Amino acid sequence: MKKLLIGFIAIVTVLSILPFYLVFMMSTYYSNDLFKGLPFLPSDFLLKNFETIFKTNFIQVYGNSIIVSVSAVVLCTLVSSLVGFAIAKYKFKFKKVINNFIIITMMVPMQISIIGYLLEMKTLHLNNTLLPIILVWVSYPFGAFFMTQFIKDSIADEMIESARIDGCSEPRIFATIVVPLIKPGIATLATLVFLWSWNNYLLPLIIINKQQFYTIPILVSTLGTAHRNDLAARMCALALSIFPVIVVFLLGSKTFIKGISAGAVKG
Amino acid sequence: MLKYKSSLAKPEKNLNRSSVWAYIFCAPFIIGYFLFSLFPIMYSFFISFFDWNGVGDKLFVGVKNYITIFTRDPLFYKSLTNTLLIMLMSTPVEIILGMLLAVVLFNMKKGKSFFQTANFLPYITTPVAIGFIFAYLFDWNNGYVNLVLIKIGILHEGIYWLQEPATARMVVALMIIWKYLGYFMTIYLAGMTSIPEEIYEAAKVDGANPFKTFIKITLPLLKNITAFLLVTSVIGGLQMFDEPSLLYSWGERSYVGGPDNSVLTVVWKFYNDAFKSDSMLGYGSAISFSLFAIIIVFSFISYRISAGKEV
Repeated sequence: MKKLLIGFIAIVTVLSILPFYLVFMMSTYYSNDLFKGLPFLPSDFLLKNFETIFKTNFIQVYGNSIIVSVSAVVLCTLVSSLVGFAIAKYKFKFKKVINNFIIITMMVPMQISIIGYLLEMKTLHLNNTLLPIILVWVSYPFGAFFMTQFIKDSIADEMIESARIDGCSEPRIFATIVVPLIKPGIATLATLVFLWSWNNYLLPLIIINKQQFYTIPILVSTLGTAHRNDLAARMCALALSIFPVIVVFLLGSKTFIKGISAGAVKG
Repeated sequence: MLKYKSSLAKPEKNLNRSSVWAYIFCAPFIIGYFLFSLFPIMYSFFISFFDWNGVGDKLFVGVKNYITIFTRDPLFYKSLTNTLLIMLMSTPVEIILGMLLAVVLFNMKKGKSFFQTANFLPYITTPVAIGFIFAYLFDWNNGYVNLVLIKIGILHEGIYWLQEPATARMVVALMIIWKYLGYFMTIYLAGMTSIPEEIYEAAKVDGANPFKTFIKITLPLLKNITAFLLVTSVIGGLQMFDEPSLLYSWGERSYVGGPDNSVLTVVWKFYNDAFKSDSMLGYGSAISFSLFAIIIVFSFISYRISAGKEV
């Protein structure tokens, strides 16, 4: 029985990894050789495939995606930590209202704002810049909720009070006492926002229609029409687009998995 | 506490100062939410009462868009049915297999974190990649699934996976299971880890076998987690778009809705009506708000079912 179960999990694990493995292997092949059998071993065509991809504006698009994800991470973690700090550690009149507001807005699906958002961005002449796909991450209710919980759990009131007695200003308390103590929370939220903004498909699909502002998912999804016959090159582009996500995940996988499951277990 | 009060000359003033700072700290979030979410939501809602293609004149039509959606647009019901069917095919599998995998991992001594990380990878992968990988694997002509099944001798000739309504839905459900199984497993594993060790010890002392322990102890204690997973997958599932649309966005197979619109989901229809074919922004907004209402109803029902009556 036990062997059976371990065999079962081994099979599931192989099925989870196999597609990735195939994509990475296929990106080293010459397209016409792909169907001669299962590509389990690497071939020698990787550099040629790189050449094909870099003839498109892949590097520019890659840069766009990095700019979007990094800005989203910085803005979202900063804004979320600030509002989380205020709700977790201050007493003020609208604290309850703001807290409930955050919880309710977490359930609102993004589609109901998307048409209004597109028109707003068009009116502000911001469509066809990268800003619209960055700005949606500024006030991200999940981030605010997550940081509120994290600050509540990880910072003692006494620390803040004693800093106040020492004459520390409120912004300095945030920067020198709170931020260093909530680094693990910031790391988890940053990983999540990086992954989500990197993978975001619907919003850039709707907002962006100039190729110079494409992000990776949009470019890869249109590669199908541009490189219809060069399957290996497409696989190579795909491998390159998955790569940073896997790196970010593996770097932070321990705190990340902890952070993502904490919400479920508590809630 | 006492020391703190006595050391401050004017405590009231201090309180004022810090509550002002609380508002300042909240301001970026509130302003940002108003500008980039709340205002667009209200604007979309306003537009949903108009007939408008985004460039010409807005024509006020009242609730006509909503009436059309629910009485004269069979494709809306079809898309809702498709979405629910795909969810029905995927969510129970995710819950049962996810729980089973978590139990196996929980009792494992070595390699736990390896299996967890490996199985979590699909969850973090770009949906575009998943769509392409699956379109490729299930291709009739060159796909590895047909290739392997024929080689083993299960099939004599390839199945048209992506060209038949029933199998198309199956492939989309498989994509979703593949993507979320590791996530479900991880959440269940976290839940099992949080159950106190003493409960298991006590069960062992009382002579309960592992199966009985699981049914009588683990399962009931995981009820909240199951509720969480069910409700979040209902909310997420009703917004399904990336997986089916990306499965059908490759080269010659690039067509909307899959074969006979069998995998057209509500959000895909929303995207199509609002931005693709006729750019009916008013009608699209109305679809999105109808979907929102449906999400509220279904998440409430699924919460009731999974969390039991006492909650």
